[in-house]
Amino acid sequence: MSKTKLEEINRNIYDIKNKDEYDFKIKKGLTPEIIEEISMQKKDPDWMRKFRLKALETYNKLELPTWGPDISELDMNQIATYVRPKTTLSNSWEDVPEDIKNTFDKLGIPEAEKRSLSGVGAQYDSEVVYHSMREDLAKKGVIYTDMETAVRDYPELVKKHFMKCVPVNDHKFVALHGAVWSGGSFVYVPKGVKVDIPLQSYFRLNSPESGQFEHTLIIVDEGASLHFIEGCSAPKYNKINLHAGCVELYVKDNAYLRYSTIENWSKNMLNLNTKKAIVGKNAKMDWVSGSFGSKISMLYPMSILNGEGAKTEYTGISFAGAGQNLDNGFKVVHNNKNTSSVVNAKSISKNGGKCTYRSQVRINENAKGAKSSVSCESLMLDDISISDTIPVNDIRTDDVEFSHEAKIGKISDKTIFYLMSRGMSEEDAKAMIVRGFAYPISKELPVEYAVEMNNLINLELEGAIG
Amino acid sequence: MSNTLLEIKDLYVNAEEKEILKGINLKINKGEIHVIMGPNGSGKTTTANSILNNPMYTKQKGKIIFEGKDITNLKTDEIAREGIFMSFQLPEEIPGVSVTNFLKYAKSKISKKPVKIFEFKEELKKYMEELKMNPKNMERSLNVGFSGGEKKKNEILQMLVLNPELAILDETDSGLDVDAIKTVSKGIQMFKTKKNAVLIITHNTKILNSLDVDYVHVLVDGKIVKTGSADLAKEIEEKGYEQYK
Amino acid sequence: MILNETPVRTAKNFNINNIKLDSFSMPQKIEPFSNVILSKNGKKVKIEEDTDSINLVYGLGKDFLCQVKENANQKLKITIDENKKEDLQIDFEFNNKNKMLVEDIQIIANKNSKLTVIIKYTSNEQIENYHNGIIRVNAKENARVNIIFVNFMNDISNNFIAIENELEQNAKINYCIVDFGGKNSITNYYSNLLKDNSENKINCIYLGKNNELFDLNYIAELRGKKTNVEIEVQGALTDNAKKHFKGTINFKKGAKKAKGNENENCMLLTDTAKSIALPMLLCSEEDVEGNHSSSAGKVSEKELFYIMSRGFTKKEAMKLMVRARFNKILECIENEELKNEILNKVDERLD
Repeated sequence: MSKTKLEEINRNIYDIKNKDEYDFKIKKGLTPEIIEEISMQKKDPDWMRKFRLKALETYNKLELPTWGPDISELDMNQIATYVRPKTTLSNSWEDVPEDIKNTFDKLGIPEAEKRSLSGVGAQYDSEVVYHSMREDLAKKGVIYTDMETAVRDYPELVKKHFMKCVPVNDHKFVALHGAVWSGGSFVYVPKGVKVDIPLQSYFRLNSPESGQFEHTLIIVDEGASLHFIEGCSAPKYNKINLHAGCVELYVKDNAYLRYSTIENWSKNMLNLNTKKAIVGKNAKMDWVSGSFGSKISMLYPMSILNGEGAKTEYTGISFAGAGQNLDNGFKVVHNNKNTSSVVNAKSISKNGGKCTYRSQVRINENAKGAKSSVSCESLMLDDISISDTIPVNDIRTDDVEFSHEAKIGKISDKTIFYLMSRGMSEEDAKAMIVRGFAYPISKELPVEYAVEMNNLINLELEGAIG
Repeated sequence: MSNTLLEIKDLYVNAEEKEILKGINLKINKGEIHVIMGPNGSGKTTTANSILNNPMYTKQKGKIIFEGKDITNLKTDEIAREGIFMSFQLPEEIPGVSVTNFLKYAKSKISKKPVKIFEFKEELKKYMEELKMNPKNMERSLNVGFSGGEKKKNEILQMLVLNPELAILDETDSGLDVDAIKTVSKGIQMFKTKKNAVLIITHNTKILNSLDVDYVHVLVDGKIVKTGSADLAKEIEEKGYEQYK
Repeated sequence: MILNETPVRTAKNFNINNIKLDSFSMPQKIEPFSNVILSKNGKKVKIEEDTDSINLVYGLGKDFLCQVKENANQKLKITIDENKKEDLQIDFEFNNKNKMLVEDIQIIANKNSKLTVIIKYTSNEQIENYHNGIIRVNAKENARVNIIFVNFMNDISNNFIAIENELEQNAKINYCIVDFGGKNSITNYYSNLLKDNSENKINCIYLGKNNELFDLNYIAELRGKKTNVEIEVQGALTDNAKKHFKGTINFKKGAKKAKGNENENCMLLTDTAKSIALPMLLCSEEDVEGNHSSSAGKVSEKELFYIMSRGFTKKEAMKLMVRARFNKILECIENEELKNEILNKVDERLD
């Protein structure tokens, strides 16, 4: 069964390379002139233009990280930071140009929209090309639009929240993002409104030697709830592409937000993304994250538990194959009484790939009654791969319950024998064990995405197991 | 057509470079129930694992013939698909794979055809009732957090679902209470027909009481030292293995 | 000054890649230290004083290494001959006339030898002392080495120690480290499990009070097949004491069937005590088993209530629970006298 399934899935759907046709592509590099040009092209309001220039100054002042994967091959002079596709934003798939629409069709986005989503945004290179949402949600006051429209139409909301959760000086690539950001989604869910079917934004980077810098800003107001799904992919090129998006999430008192990501960037991508959430009183922020693509990934979503009784859960898996260095993890700061965090992180390394789980749990002085439990499991599928676990546990008060557990190892021969005694081949047995290993993550996703994730796992396992 | 199901000929097996089996000969016909008894370390589990060709054991000499086919060096999954099932002494835990999904997948492999979901679930339900299993266990991860008794019953459930020609039960009764042992023997009775056979490996005779045992073999130090009828089991229960050492 | 770097860096703002001591400066002039008693199987002895030149893989930092190389005021080389068995004790006692100790201890346990050595540092007088030491241990084939390392320095002193072990085929080294402070108590511990079947167990207890700072940087690299490392750290912090624990188990390529376990637990006895832990597992080999666990929190209210219901005051109950936590680790010390001394110190420090 699995064997035939393996043949059915085709990496090619992610690898469709459209001709590098664009309406406008900024010249490579990073200078104040280039930033001015982007700002002009994007018809920014003046405050945004100034914001970008200031961010560039910060970028120039900050150092590259002195830890983690080596990203010295990234040369910003070789990256075009803004590529406008040959289309304008539309709210009907019919109006999206044929080749772009085909790409999203093959990725299954319009189909998913019909079946299991209440709204979809689709970004192609630097601009959002499609955005739509069910009408009933609009009537309830839910806003789901591209970031540029938000800057124009909701200046007060945006100004109040834009890069306040993730400050520009957070690290060098956040500053870069601040200077060149383009596209992304803006969501506002009004007080008490429960969006019961997920919204999804899909990010596709087609243009070679370019970067994608989308900005996602979500505000879930008091007592409201939302499930947001983010998907990403790109065709593979020989030269480096860069993704330095920024996700800012505000989960107000008693609200709930689940943010799910299936990341399948091509293996020439440097994924230096930043995601943070500020969580209010008795609110809950859940992260579900599947990381399959990218050459290098440095991604550490963060929950800042500011309200009393705020909760967060992180469920994530990384799967690194040949030539991949996935440095992922989670950060949480407990900033109030009775806050809680649960982390369940898994990784799989094969064919010389490297997975690192890097994290920080910080329980501050004022977080009496805080609880935190962290569990990490790493699976090694061969002896040429690498798996590291680097967690920091920073406990600054006594009235806490904190525990951390990590395990590393291979699939046991006994388990394989057991499954083989039930008629499965060694390959099938291993694939079944790996899918089971990833199940805690796939079960958190809507069915279609869980299937996609299992397909990605099968795809990644193909050839790796013998 | 021959009535012989399994034949082991002069089998020598090492585990971690230590010689465990020193010339086993055994013949099992369709419709029979065989029992292998023996003290700890005599090679009972090795015998079972060798039939399934567990790579942790290496065969030095000898042959295993199943339904006229030499299966000595087949891979474990191939042997399973030939129709041999083994109930494990310590069943493995597989997180994230539900009992239903696991069995459905295994069934499709063994029967070499797709499984019809509805019928399959009905069949499963029926067996679980007979085995007094909690239906909620079906959606739980295979063996994860199961008690010792639940794990063993789950093995019997798998045997019933996969319906092999030969079922090898490796210490399926160990660590079970009286009621659970009864349930397990009931499972074996349900399974048993004239066309298949059962090989029970055990320490104690309780499980044999309600079964119609044809042969009892005494295994000591890697060799079958005596073969007899069901009465032999009773004798061993009374006198132990001393006389065979 | 900045010292005790971890073998792998993580984000700078996590503040754990190294330790920064603002109010400390290294003494430039090292005074003599002579208050050391060496005893062998209970009797006083002299030990060879010429050690081999030092090269550390990790260590606390260049300055500390140079100071030991150039200005050591105690050098001890202990060689245990093949098939021999020895029991040794080395007592360093700080006082008014012996305020600075810079020592270089080298231990070579030859094939099939057995050694138990107690190394103890005491400062009973309330004066500021300084200790910078390096202990090197080489356990040859099939050697068994037990080291009981006891730090009883007072809470205004500075304690720096770098330990480095190399293990050959089938060698076993057990450490029992009792770290009861100093204003700064900084440890760098490194084991190289070079050859097959070698084994290293580390049991550590620490107890911090006042403004004491502990920085424990334990590193084990497994290279040989079927090598085994176990790190067990139990600690308690009261007042404003602060602890950094950095534990690294690194499975190098080739360490097939190796095992590494690390368990770290910190009892926080006041709401101003602070604990940072970085339990790292690094792995470049498939066929290994690595586990770590780490926990922190206060004494369980239930347990506390239970003990108090038996007529103990809260303070007594706390002491009892800390002692209970430590007891398991102290089981590896056979010397009853020393064990009692340690437990008394626990009571004393928690008064």
